[in-house]
Amino acid sequence: MSMLKLNRRSFVKLSGAAALVGLSTTAVNRVGFAADKEKEKGRVVVIGGGYGGAVAAKYIRMADPGIEVTLIEQNQHYYSCPLSNWVVAGFRDIEVQKWGYEGLKKHGVKVVIEPATEIDPATKTVTTKGGTKFKYDRLIVSPGVAFKPVEGYDAEAEEKMPHAWHAGPQTVLLNKQLTAMRDGDPFILVAPPDPFRCPPGPYERASLVAHYLKKNKPKSKVIILDPKDKFSKMPLFQAGWTKLYGFGTDKSLIDWIPGGEGGKVARVDAKTMTVYTDMAEYKSSCINIIPPQKAGAIAEMAKLTDESGWCPVQFDTFESKIHKDIHVIGDAAQATGLPKSGYAANSEAKVCAAAVVALLNGQKPGEPSYVNTCYSMLSPTYGISVAGVYKLVEGKIKEVGGGLSAADAPEFIRQQEATYNESWYQSIMADTFS
Amino acid sequence: MHRKKIQTMGLISGLVAGGLLCATAANAESGPTAAMLANTCAGCHGTDGISGGPAMPTIAGMPANHIKTLMKEFKDGSRPSTIMGRLAKGYSDEEVALIADFFSKKKWADAESHANSKLATAVDQAQAGKGKKLTASAKCDKCHEDDGKAQDENTPRLAGQWLDYLLFKMQDYKNTALKVPQEKKMEKAMEKLSAEDLAAIAHFYASKH
Repeated sequence: MSMLKLNRRSFVKLSGAAALVGLSTTAVNRVGFAADKEKEKGRVVVIGGGYGGAVAAKYIRMADPGIEVTLIEQNQHYYSCPLSNWVVAGFRDIEVQKWGYEGLKKHGVKVVIEPATEIDPATKTVTTKGGTKFKYDRLIVSPGVAFKPVEGYDAEAEEKMPHAWHAGPQTVLLNKQLTAMRDGDPFILVAPPDPFRCPPGPYERASLVAHYLKKNKPKSKVIILDPKDKFSKMPLFQAGWTKLYGFGTDKSLIDWIPGGEGGKVARVDAKTMTVYTDMAEYKSSCINIIPPQKAGAIAEMAKLTDESGWCPVQFDTFESKIHKDIHVIGDAAQATGLPKSGYAANSEAKVCAAAVVALLNGQKPGEPSYVNTCYSMLSPTYGISVAGVYKLVEGKIKEVGGGLSAADAPEFIRQQEATYNESWYQSIMADTFS
Repeated sequence: MHRKKIQTMGLISGLVAGGLLCATAANAESGPTAAMLANTCAGCHGTDGISGGPAMPTIAGMPANHIKTLMKEFKDGSRPSTIMGRLAKGYSDEEVALIADFFSKKKWADAESHANSKLATAVDQAQAGKGKKLTASAKCDKCHEDDGKAQDENTPRLAGQWLDYLLFKMQDYKNTALKVPQEKKMEKAMEKLSAEDLAAIAHFYASKH
């Protein structure tokens, strides 16, 4: 390669980061005209390579290869939360949830595996843990969720009472605890208050654990302690539970204790494996705590969050209402009207990508269109879904079509939806990582 | 006039590889662009309509009018579905036209060529052989010409489609209670075919590429 052909940006990056030399070499080899074009169009940095960030990076490159895109992600591999409840219940291998970043590199995305530690909106710079600095014209932050404190629930307690709300080792740990649980112990599931990642997720988990118990630990049941009095797809879940798990009878495999009936957890004690509500205490050898949530740590550090803990954004571009030239997508964004789901993150990423491409080309962003499609499993052969098409109407995200699976759908439809769930997963993961 | 302008823009964007960019460049006052609308489908139907999930059909390269017909039937409820009926209600006819145009200009890719092909139900050659004979005796090949590779405004391509999807659809067609919209001659042919015959036909079309 010839140093003469390096443009200023490539040079700064190369000299700034020995670790990145290997990575940038590819770009340098293709330098010359391509790099000059990239210089003209601008640079995008994306933090977080999941359902939101990876899609934004790919779709920007697909739309305009003249834009340089760098994805900064802390983990070598990504584990999908959607479908990870199957792993918890023991009928799916965690390896099927695992993805990498080779596919994005084929789109010309520069991938940096290192945690981003600082965002400076004034100098438009992202710094990674190793001290490397990345300049951006536009930054997209897709950091997912972080947890709000629960009394008694610290890093050590997470290992005894897993949350399994970030997929990966936590998912495997919860499955191990479920498998090791004494027959007769309850599986205690502490659900979070709204808003949180994957609104039907805790209830799908309860269903699939009940499916496991029915076969393997018939003396046990699931107890959901919930601060809320209603939840996502509730009538469909409860009808399915009645059919599959005796819900509502004294032999029910699932007890749901809503906030109004003492479901709100006050504190936990990992040493004695006890959960305390205002009214009672629950002990078990298997306790799953899904804590209250807020935007991922980097968003909070960069002061992209407001008092709610989430990031206020413009709905047509997902640009932060707090910091110019920074966009926030996925669960961390306050996209009021859209659920915090993987599909919504995918959809937000595409709206954001189109807006960023337009803005870097000196054009006005177009009108957005958003979709959510979300499946939940009540057993391995019983699926339900919610779907929605959304538009921006007078500044608000409004659902213009969609709805839930029919309440009276026949069994073969539930079976088809269970199969579609797996295909949904394979397609959206290919859309994200290939 | 207004609608025509939108369609022209969709056409231009479809012709250029970077459809998203060009569509974005179009007038923002006229609603979401073709690429904006169509890219939201990709979560299930795959990037550019090339599905990565064996039960989801690839829609890349499908004739625009065929997509429009299906969406209309999903929307008015005449075509049974699990989820498409709900989603189709979110789009105007003009938007469906843009989406249809977008996917019709994308290149078809056989399921077999997809990185996820190993996830699909494997094609059984004996079944496919039986299926081939049935497509002749039941006269499937009168419309689904060239081993299902041919397509036109009323006939979708079947060759190289995901087998799991084809098997699902065959079940739906056989389930007369669902009343899947279809040509009279196809309905008649279906009556004479057993569920096993239809599965064999699905294997045959999936085996072709």
